[in-house]
Amino acid sequence: MAREVDEHDTPAEVDATFRTIRRVAVGYFAVFLAAVTGVPALSLTLGWWSDGRLIGGMSPAFVMAAFGLYVFFFLIGLAAATLSTAVEARMLGGPAEPEDGTGRDGSP
Amino acid sequence: MNLASAAVLAAVLALVAGVAIAMRPRGASTVDFYLAGQRVGVVTNAWAICGDYFSAASFLGVAAAVYVSGLDGVWYAVGFAAGFVPVLLFVAAPLRRFGEFSIPDFLGRRLRSEHVRLVAVGVVQLIILSYLVPQAVGSGITWQLLVGQGIGGLSPYATGVVVSTAAVAGLVACGGMRGTTWTQAVQFLLLLAALCWLATAVLGAGFDYGGAVADLSTEPLANPTAGDRGWELATEQNRLDGAATASFGEPGARYGRLGQFALIITLIMGTAGLPHVLNRYFTSPTGTAARMTTVWVLGLAGLFYALAVMLGTAARAQIPAAVPAHPWLQELTVDGVLRVPEHALPVLGRIYGGDAGLGVVAAGALVAVMSTIAGLLLAAAASWGHDVYERHINPRATQRQAVWAGRSTTMVVAFAAAGLALAMRPESLTGLLPSIVATMVTWAFALAGSALTPVFLLAIWWRGTTAAGATAGMASGAVLAVAMFVAGIRLADPGLGELLMTPTLVAAPVATAVTVLVSRRTAPPRELERLWLTLHGTAADRHAERLAQLTIRSLSRRPSRPGPDLAQR
Amino acid sequence: MRSGSRPLAGVLAAVWSLVYLVTQVLVDPPLGVGTTLLAGVALTCVLTLGYPSALRGPRGGRVSSRQPGPGGASSNRTIAAAAGRAMPLRSGLTPDAARRTAQLLRPLLGGDAVAITDREQVLAFVGPGADHHRVGGQPPTKLTARVIARARTMVVRHRAGIGCPVPDCPLQTAVVAPLAIGQRVVGTLKVYRVHADPPARDLVEGMAGILSLHLELAELDRERNLAADARLDALRAQINPHFLFNILNTIASKARTDPEEARQLLLRLSDFFRYAVRQDGHFAEFAQEYFFVRTYLSLEQARYGDRLRVRYDIDPQVLTTHVPVLTIQPLVENAIKHGLANKVEAGTIHLKARVDPLTRTTSIQVADDGVGIPADVLAQITAGESSASGGVGLRNISQRLDTLFGERYALHIQSTAGSGTVVDLRIPLR
Repeated sequence: MAREVDEHDTPAEVDATFRTIRRVAVGYFAVFLAAVTGVPALSLTLGWWSDGRLIGGMSPAFVMAAFGLYVFFFLIGLAAATLSTAVEARMLGGPAEPEDGTGRDGSP
Repeated sequence: MNLASAAVLAAVLALVAGVAIAMRPRGASTVDFYLAGQRVGVVTNAWAICGDYFSAASFLGVAAAVYVSGLDGVWYAVGFAAGFVPVLLFVAAPLRRFGEFSIPDFLGRRLRSEHVRLVAVGVVQLIILSYLVPQAVGSGITWQLLVGQGIGGLSPYATGVVVSTAAVAGLVACGGMRGTTWTQAVQFLLLLAALCWLATAVLGAGFDYGGAVADLSTEPLANPTAGDRGWELATEQNRLDGAATASFGEPGARYGRLGQFALIITLIMGTAGLPHVLNRYFTSPTGTAARMTTVWVLGLAGLFYALAVMLGTAARAQIPAAVPAHPWLQELTVDGVLRVPEHALPVLGRIYGGDAGLGVVAAGALVAVMSTIAGLLLAAAASWGHDVYERHINPRATQRQAVWAGRSTTMVVAFAAAGLALAMRPESLTGLLPSIVATMVTWAFALAGSALTPVFLLAIWWRGTTAAGATAGMASGAVLAVAMFVAGIRLADPGLGELLMTPTLVAAPVATAVTVLVSRRTAPPRELERLWLTLHGTAADRHAERLAQLTIRSLSRRPSRPGPDLAQR
Repeated sequence: MRSGSRPLAGVLAAVWSLVYLVTQVLVDPPLGVGTTLLAGVALTCVLTLGYPSALRGPRGGRVSSRQPGPGGASSNRTIAAAAGRAMPLRSGLTPDAARRTAQLLRPLLGGDAVAITDREQVLAFVGPGADHHRVGGQPPTKLTARVIARARTMVVRHRAGIGCPVPDCPLQTAVVAPLAIGQRVVGTLKVYRVHADPPARDLVEGMAGILSLHLELAELDRERNLAADARLDALRAQINPHFLFNILNTIASKARTDPEEARQLLLRLSDFFRYAVRQDGHFAEFAQEYFFVRTYLSLEQARYGDRLRVRYDIDPQVLTTHVPVLTIQPLVENAIKHGLANKVEAGTIHLKARVDPLTRTTSIQVADDGVGIPADVLAQITAGESSASGGVGLRNISQRLDTLFGERYALHIQSTAGSGTVVDLRIPLR
């Protein structure tokens, strides 16, 4: 049953979504910041981080800076984007489209 | 330069020009000029954003930084890639949903104030200019290497600067944004292709990444400096551990303890304030699409920078061994180490691919430069033309006049950038500031991150931001950032000077604090609820998606009966 | 949310192997033991605390429907199934269940053919002779009728006793035992043999006894579900009158001054009722319940204007959990009706929803700063008496929660007269 009318949000709903999304964003940003400052910080504190030799001649610090961090950024971006989109889809907007035959769950 | 590289270069430039001409808009509407005439898809927009973002700094500068400073140079790559994560988390979707032409437009409408708009325009123009200059410098350096001689009595460097700036300015003024979106996408793909080709060539010739890093780290890192007796190699001092010498695979070749963090933070905060990148978000269809575009950008950026870092390492490892076999390297190097590190990638291209290889890499560099210059000029035109001219100087301007205002801004800004680039002579600065292109781009990031990003984030995520607070924040951030890096240049001291040239660590918190304090004392805009709904509510997005679904459904039903839903209304 | 423990354990194992691999095997001077342990422990903590943040993608996620399935054919499993919950007859005496039971039990009963009938017809027949002993037909002999009438097992030792009209029916002997719920016989279990030696009588009687127990439990289940459904229907019926009356008045008054808002309110009202009357079972995704609550609150806000303020505090993980349907909105309705309606100044409703994956609890809290509930009325409500005005909705909810969760939920009300009420609901995480 499609609603062929304009969509509309009330301030309370938008406020709720805003708070939840903000929490999600700050959380992911904290993780991101920890990783991004952690890699140079480990160089300063942990000897092994610069001295160990991984895959041939690169230290773990080099491996992280040359590959690992980019993979991490992509994954964290993907996770944050899907989560934010899912939260917005569930907290704003009309009712879910009815699905055939699903949603039956009567057993305790 | 010989026929092969000239041919390759000419072919690439012809392709780019061809796409630009094919995509030029019919008619001169402002919307068409500033935004793509149609909405663009998620992936295409991602390519276009990458085209805008990956400039000479990314292509040449990162490899140069890695070449010169080893691991400390890799932080440039990390910082450039990381910058899009805050954009995705905090900026992408709300910015698109609010949907205006440009950053000053967004701030002006969000905070309901023309002062904010004008101050933002000032900051934006400053950022654009400081981002343009290194692009021009990069193209001058590339021309110098590629062609080796000037035109019309100018030095090769000067010729490069003038030609690239003039070419791009002309393209933008005639083509506008619609041309630029697809052009950007194509240019990015060419850039990526060039980089991939070079990486394949290097790897195919038996480059062992891990082994190379290990070998390079066994000897101390040494770079050419201009001394009394001409150029000679001088080992880099290890800033982290005063006693030891710097080594390639370990940090400390350029930055001290705090400097390591300062650079990364500067680059991360800066991306969220870059006007030419953020302007691209307005061409996404919905807020969700804007977010997904950023995910794609993160993936592409990661790939790009990983390759660039590898190539910088390869340059450092392979060029000394190649000097005997290639006599033309003699004048570029001192004891096997390049004098101008930005030559690293083009030289690699020439070693592994001959003159055609040089042509490919040079084409890639020039394409990167041109795409970024185009994006920047357009952003400058948008903010000047739309925000200042249409609203204040000539409120009853016609479309034609507005577009002409935009075009003249493009020309003026391009001239200013070229002039500054010509005034700056890279050889003299190289000793002082290794990897000059990347460093200069960092200035632009620092300014964006200190002046625009804090205010931006607060305007989107805090209801209490007021116009007065934003103005104060932008002004304080900009002033502090400029002051700090002028001081850093004057000081010319490797330790403190480097730190002062990445001022975001200090200036951004100051700007945030100022904005919060001033906003507390003033009143927020009156229509805050309605603005907030547009910013964080998805009603418009859902409406757009539903219309799209209905259109698709009615189109697919068309053979049997004409759209019943539409007929019923 | 499905049980996340197994994927979490898997991920932790993978992470530790990765840490080991990276720090000890692949790296040339391996990392010291202490630091490796620290890194591994730190990663474990981060993963354990952060794993519930994985939320499946946008709307249209999979909804699980659990099919009761009897599984494999080995006799050990069959014996276990006969005694346990996997017995198909647990869902009632139906042809499908009877057929599956017969197939399940055939190897155990020492017979060649097994049949299950109810009082009127054959529900299932497996084994030789199935071609003419048809399912759905009348039992062709009076044997069944006699067993049902007498409620006693009967053993037949020759063909004539079976009384099958078909001449070349292979069945020679049989044991027929009644299936009874309490004193009432509801069907029979028949075991046939093609030899002259009848099947073991005790075995068949014992199995019939087990099946009877299952049928009895099935009937109890059905009664319980009917009761719960009845309460749910009662709750749905309760939603309408006053609320509908008030909101229609509000819409009518706005129709002239602000027709756009009136239209939005009508749309919301239709959403509200469409959700209220849907019959999709006892559980719903929290996002759906939340949609219902916010629709309801937007309608009430239209009526009360600035006097009613709403503040939500929803964790993203809660959105995909399943909560009992029509549980949250009545709590909110009570808060408005009894807390805020009589308050002179503006009042606020706070709705908080959290998930605790370690104790596997979903916790929902509705707080208001209204006039509160006097202590004696509060005592009456918690004692479960219906006379208190706020009590009926709460009693309905707590009865349904009893049915659905037994002892495993908690519904607390805390109130101080004059300063507000907090209703706290904790239910198991699904």
